[in-house]
Amino acid sequence: MTETLVKATFDVYRYDPARDPAPRYDRYELELPRHTPLLSALLKIRAEVDPSLTLRYSCRSAICGSCAMQVNSKSRLACETQIGPELDRDGRIVVEPMRNQKVLRDLVVEQEPFWRNYDRIRPHLILDPTKPMPEGKETPMTPAQVDRFMETPRCIACAACYSACPAVEADPAFPGPMALAKLYRFVVDPRDQAHQDRLVRIQTDGLWLCMRCHLCTEACPKDVRPSERIRDLKEMAIAVQGATETGSRHAVGFKENIRERGLLSEMKLVRQTSGLTGLLAQAPQGLRMVRKKPEILKRPHPIEGLDEVEKIYDALDHPEAPP
Amino acid sequence: MKLAYYPGCVAQESGKELDMATRWVCRSLGIELVEFPNFSCCGSGFTDEANETLNVALNVRNLALAEKAGLDLLTVCSTCQGMLSLANLRYQDPAVKSRVDGALTPLGISYRGTTKVKHLLRVLTEDIGTEKIRARVARPLGGLKIGAFYGCHLLRPADELEWESAEEPHAFEDLLKAVGATPVYYRGRVMCCGFPIQFVKPDTASRVAGRQIEDAKSHGADAMATPCPLCHISLDAYQNQAEEAVGHSLDMPVFHLPQVVGLALGATPEELGLGRHLVSTAPALGKIAAPARS
Repeated sequence: MTETLVKATFDVYRYDPARDPAPRYDRYELELPRHTPLLSALLKIRAEVDPSLTLRYSCRSAICGSCAMQVNSKSRLACETQIGPELDRDGRIVVEPMRNQKVLRDLVVEQEPFWRNYDRIRPHLILDPTKPMPEGKETPMTPAQVDRFMETPRCIACAACYSACPAVEADPAFPGPMALAKLYRFVVDPRDQAHQDRLVRIQTDGLWLCMRCHLCTEACPKDVRPSERIRDLKEMAIAVQGATETGSRHAVGFKENIRERGLLSEMKLVRQTSGLTGLLAQAPQGLRMVRKKPEILKRPHPIEGLDEVEKIYDALDHPEAPP
Repeated sequence: MKLAYYPGCVAQESGKELDMATRWVCRSLGIELVEFPNFSCCGSGFTDEANETLNVALNVRNLALAEKAGLDLLTVCSTCQGMLSLANLRYQDPAVKSRVDGALTPLGISYRGTTKVKHLLRVLTEDIGTEKIRARVARPLGGLKIGAFYGCHLLRPADELEWESAEEPHAFEDLLKAVGATPVYYRGRVMCCGFPIQFVKPDTASRVAGRQIEDAKSHGADAMATPCPLCHISLDAYQNQAEEAVGHSLDMPVFHLPQVVGLALGATPEELGLGRHLVSTAPALGKIAAPARS
């Protein structure tokens, strides 16, 4: 049985910083079966058309995490992306290196900062030296303890999340979604003795720069759901240490703010988060806004049924004890 | 049709123009808005970070109020939409449900999980339909190139919200075409506006906002439009700071979603509260012809 071939157009990002004044896109046209993985197509281009095309890959089975790239502007593993659906939707396939990392050549990016950010979270078990692991025995865990890891052990460190993250793009102080998902994994590991220290450290090491946009969760090829684990870390950090940072003060301040009237008092929140000095720093911007939006200065009327809201707070506003 | 109107905090305060425009558009299209003076804030993602169970419980109370009235709930904010939808989903988890019910049952509040949470964008494109809106246009927005800016929580996590594609949504662009505008496609339309860290690290937030505005501008947008009043704060009210972050002026008018529809259906700029924006919408309005109606 012969397979139906489709005409596939690839526009591939090409750039050698040592030789090229600027990046360019080279077009390759091939006839291929619809189900061809993009990685196979790129390797065919390299073998038969242009041996200078540079890319990183290894296992071809979505396990090693080497071949993450941008496919029609989306973070994808090239090995598990079939060309058919991409061609149906966009008529061609634009292949680009991942974002937020320096291009070394063509589709290969510098991974050093990504791994440095991973090192920042101390990605290894920290054991209590007075309680060594029993020799020759594994540490048993209950199913409930295993469940707390959620999806994090699936991560293959492909950096698709890092590429998609607007906080990584805007601020080197943010360690990135993968590093934080891995941090979560150690915080909930019952063998790890440093979970409190880990939570305290991360409060001042970028945790609160996550904008909870969920772009990482969307980009992840393994459904690790980093944004949801970052949310968990934030709640656990507050439970361990309280609201000590601007970010945690804002979250806790917001929660307290709603308790009073059921709706947000915008001005009061600024004071809760930033203090009096912060309020003064915001004053010029505040005045600009008040001219057009005088309601900012007014507090909302309390909602009807505020007593119900208060009772819900009374019943549930006791942060869970840390693991 | 009749819906429980959930304006959210900002549309009742600094974003009052969103409430004005929503009411005008719904009146014009025969959507009856039922007021609930007992709705509380959705938590805006912040309460969720401080205490997830509490946030689910507060939102289940809101959902139960609409259920009791037999109405689906209308949101006009991407973040309200996300938080209320996720409360619906998380309440299905037996462990969460038991803790939430522990707080709600003593108050006589029960929730069967039947309230659908619908953003105005979805009501306009699915329940009313773009064809009906197209037929009602009195002042086509011809010539106006608009970059839709969706807001994270309307789209993601897509597998939980079960509506639009998170990477290639089209409802907003469909609506823009229906009112005669030309949609501008740019990467930033599904990106983050930076709002959640506006008070945590303003410089970073402004870089994020500036980046998306620049992206829309470089793709030829005369204006942007958003279904989220929090994005509107970042993109409009704080655009001066975004300009500082990117190092040049942006001058990008930013509309709320119902303002764009209202303009096309014949509302005046005053009726839509356009004078309340920090960045003037006049250059964009100048590109639209006068309404055909008397």
